[in-house]
Amino acid sequence: MLTLAFVPLLSFGAPVKTDHVEAELVAERAALVPGAPTTVALRLRIEDGWHTYWKNPGDSGLATTLAWKAPRGYAISDIEWPAPHALPVGPLVNHGYEGEVLHLVTITAPTDAKPGTDATLTARADWLVCKETCIPDGADLSLTLPVATAAQADATWGARIAAARATLPQPLAGWSVDARGDGAKIALTLVPPPGAADAGALHFFPYAESRIEPSGAQTLARGDGGAYVLTLPVSSQQSGEFKRLNGVITAVNGLAAGGAHVKAATVDVPLIGTVVAGPKPTPEAVPVLNVNAGAPRVAATSMTLVAAISLALAGGLILNLMPCVFPVLSLKALSLAAPGRSDTPHMRASGLAFGAGVVVTFVALAGALLALRAAGEQVGWGFQLQSPAVVTALAILFFVLALNLSGVFEFGALWTGGGRALANPLADAFFSGVLAVVIASPCTAPFMGAALGYALTEPAAATLAVFVALGIGMALPFVLLSWFPGWRYVLPRPGAWMVRLKQLLAFPLYATVAWLAWVLGAQVDNDAVMRLMATLVTVAFALWAWRAFRGGGSRAFSVAALIALVVAIVVAWPLLRGDAVASATATTKPAAGDTTWQPWSPARVAELTRVGRPVFVDFTAAWCVTCQVNKRLVLNDASVRAAFAKRNVALVRADWTRRDPAITQALAALGRNGVPVYVLYRPGREPLLLPEVLSKGLVDDALAAI
Amino acid sequence: MPLPFLRPFTLAAALCTATALAQTPGQAAPDFALTDTAGKAVKLSDYRGKYVVLEWTNPDCPFVRNQYNKRSMQAQQKRWTGQDVVWVTINSTNRIHPEFKTPAAMASWMKAQEGAPAVLTVDGESAVARTYGVKTTPEMYVIDPAGKVVYAGAIDDGRSARHDPIAAHNFVQAALTQVKAGQPVAQPSSAPYGCSLKY
Repeated sequence: MLTLAFVPLLSFGAPVKTDHVEAELVAERAALVPGAPTTVALRLRIEDGWHTYWKNPGDSGLATTLAWKAPRGYAISDIEWPAPHALPVGPLVNHGYEGEVLHLVTITAPTDAKPGTDATLTARADWLVCKETCIPDGADLSLTLPVATAAQADATWGARIAAARATLPQPLAGWSVDARGDGAKIALTLVPPPGAADAGALHFFPYAESRIEPSGAQTLARGDGGAYVLTLPVSSQQSGEFKRLNGVITAVNGLAAGGAHVKAATVDVPLIGTVVAGPKPTPEAVPVLNVNAGAPRVAATSMTLVAAISLALAGGLILNLMPCVFPVLSLKALSLAAPGRSDTPHMRASGLAFGAGVVVTFVALAGALLALRAAGEQVGWGFQLQSPAVVTALAILFFVLALNLSGVFEFGALWTGGGRALANPLADAFFSGVLAVVIASPCTAPFMGAALGYALTEPAAATLAVFVALGIGMALPFVLLSWFPGWRYVLPRPGAWMVRLKQLLAFPLYATVAWLAWVLGAQVDNDAVMRLMATLVTVAFALWAWRAFRGGGSRAFSVAALIALVVAIVVAWPLLRGDAVASATATTKPAAGDTTWQPWSPARVAELTRVGRPVFVDFTAAWCVTCQVNKRLVLNDASVRAAFAKRNVALVRADWTRRDPAITQALAALGRNGVPVYVLYRPGREPLLLPEVLSKGLVDDALAAI
Repeated sequence: MPLPFLRPFTLAAALCTATALAQTPGQAAPDFALTDTAGKAVKLSDYRGKYVVLEWTNPDCPFVRNQYNKRSMQAQQKRWTGQDVVWVTINSTNRIHPEFKTPAAMASWMKAQEGAPAVLTVDGESAVARTYGVKTTPEMYVIDPAGKVVYAGAIDDGRSARHDPIAAHNFVQAALTQVKAGQPVAQPSSAPYGCSLKY
């Protein structure tokens, strides 16, 4: 890979592709005019996740360089650098660029250049491109332009280069700026012209290395007359003269400068007073958000195995009440009161078999989760719902169960344990336990999140113990009912009302189907929802036809049922194949009113916290019901939104609806393994984790603690 | 690939160094204990009374490779080891980083490079790097016989992964030459350059 990068590559204006960068020289105008300046750009298109460097690369890295070979008489300026971004690399901070960057230079053709001839400008561009690994890379580039007496803007690049030039950092016209050194700190004061809009968070990037500590916190305060006072930590490497402070200042909301509104401005002022080298920041002293670098581990250590097992037991118990599970298990419980079921040893055995089915299925889930993680997959609880295939399959299963409760068809009621059973009653009970866990899988009960988060960061034995506890908790009510015959007498006597109850309980299941369809829509697209609906209609028809046949209808009904079943499978197949669908899709669109939320990335959060803003992160997923409830009732509430705005809290949303290893890692760093997770990053303090079930009061208290 | 069962180690390393002070010239070099690639326990304080060089390295870093491919780092190691200086080469790449190397892999890499550090160690929790506030590879420290840091920073003034390091001004060589001649170090620190330390 490296040797390839060193091979000189020559271009005649075409882009040169290296492993992670596409490079080319592009010109603002279609021709060079003798004696007139024109702008040429080194355009780097950097692969996602990688970055190149600004003139001062920060804690590590290397600035991009351009060495020109131009015909005699041509004047070529230094690179005019666009404003950099602060890019955290573990506990360190780099200054550089991601995505596409245009490095502008001004080229002036000599006055004696002859119109009608061509001029070829060649340059050696060298850059360091880094992700987790750094690769020194470069290319020999060239650009041939005609010399003419007048020149039009280049059709492709004219407007883009003009736009890039317009966003170059400009002097702050109308502002008064000064810098005062005091020990290991510099106070950079910027007084805006009257009536200037709020600039938002500021960050200063010094031109020279070893002046300001790249990973040190820059804190912003407001002074008299709306002045911004940015306190900068002096570099631990600072030595020798430090007489001027010069660099670039960036503002989240932009800066009003001489009638224009700029995102970045240049600062070049004398440094008043003297400074001394600052302390070297220990890597722990900065907010570390990259989990590869030993992120703050909140709550990960605050739980013992015993506490996790207790929470899992409670979570398992509560699972029985969740809308996906309750209808099925309550009918199963009522079936115990049915006549002719007084055979206590038999009932006890079947209760235990049910419990075994539940626990074994939970252990199998834990095993699958551990195996995926050992294979390097970034998965957490809820991973099963991140696949459109599983969501589709569950939607079909719930729909069939609901139709059964509605009485559209019978299939022996084996899963409610009511009527006819398998040949082996113990196997029947065991598999109804398995089914209970399958139908519970879309739900996460309160307390489960913390217990599972703990379990999945611990050794395999502890993980299994927590999952077993979850299974025991879920199975406990039914096992106890079957164990103590006397308890059954508290159940209402069977009767005709049970049929009505059964039909009534179909509705929570239909609701679950509706919700799963919505999840599928968020994961894939509207077409997928239509496909699922078509499948469900066909399935309903197949079951209706099958029942008509079994109820004495003609053989044609059985043929119709079979055909409908085949059609249902064919229609659902693209969804059940899963990944192909998920990868071909658009991302979840933010709902109306979500415009204040920014999409999450570790770099985004780190950049916001570095500029001293508190950051609230909502780790959520479409398939997480608790998340949706919290969002609608608390986070979207007008008073909560106002409270966030008042404290200038940046709102960031991490959407885990589909698999995202970066989010899984960030959750793990917070000691969690599922959503919802709400975390408030506070400047200079430990991040604060909020409970899974939010209330306005809880959010207010958290904000008061900023 | 983050491995859940390694978390306790990283956590322990983080806790151990949370209160550590990073090092600048003139201050005492904090002690540390590591195991070298041969399995021997080493402590910085064992070398009290001698000059010590700490070299932070990472074989996957192009800036480090530039120093080794052009035989400059090995020449410095041999030269100063021959003058009773203890040269300690540390790879603090974190265990969870893809560029992590086991002690055996580090030993065979160094052998292939024909390098000659007195001590070669792997600091898989990046704990020693955190204590010293190391930012890059290569990054160099020179410690005097009293255990005081006399130089901290870059290996040389080349500031690239391409220059000829033999022709560059080598800060470590300059510092050791000066202190051995009883002179103060003219440039006790410089801005380190290179790859980021893989915490």
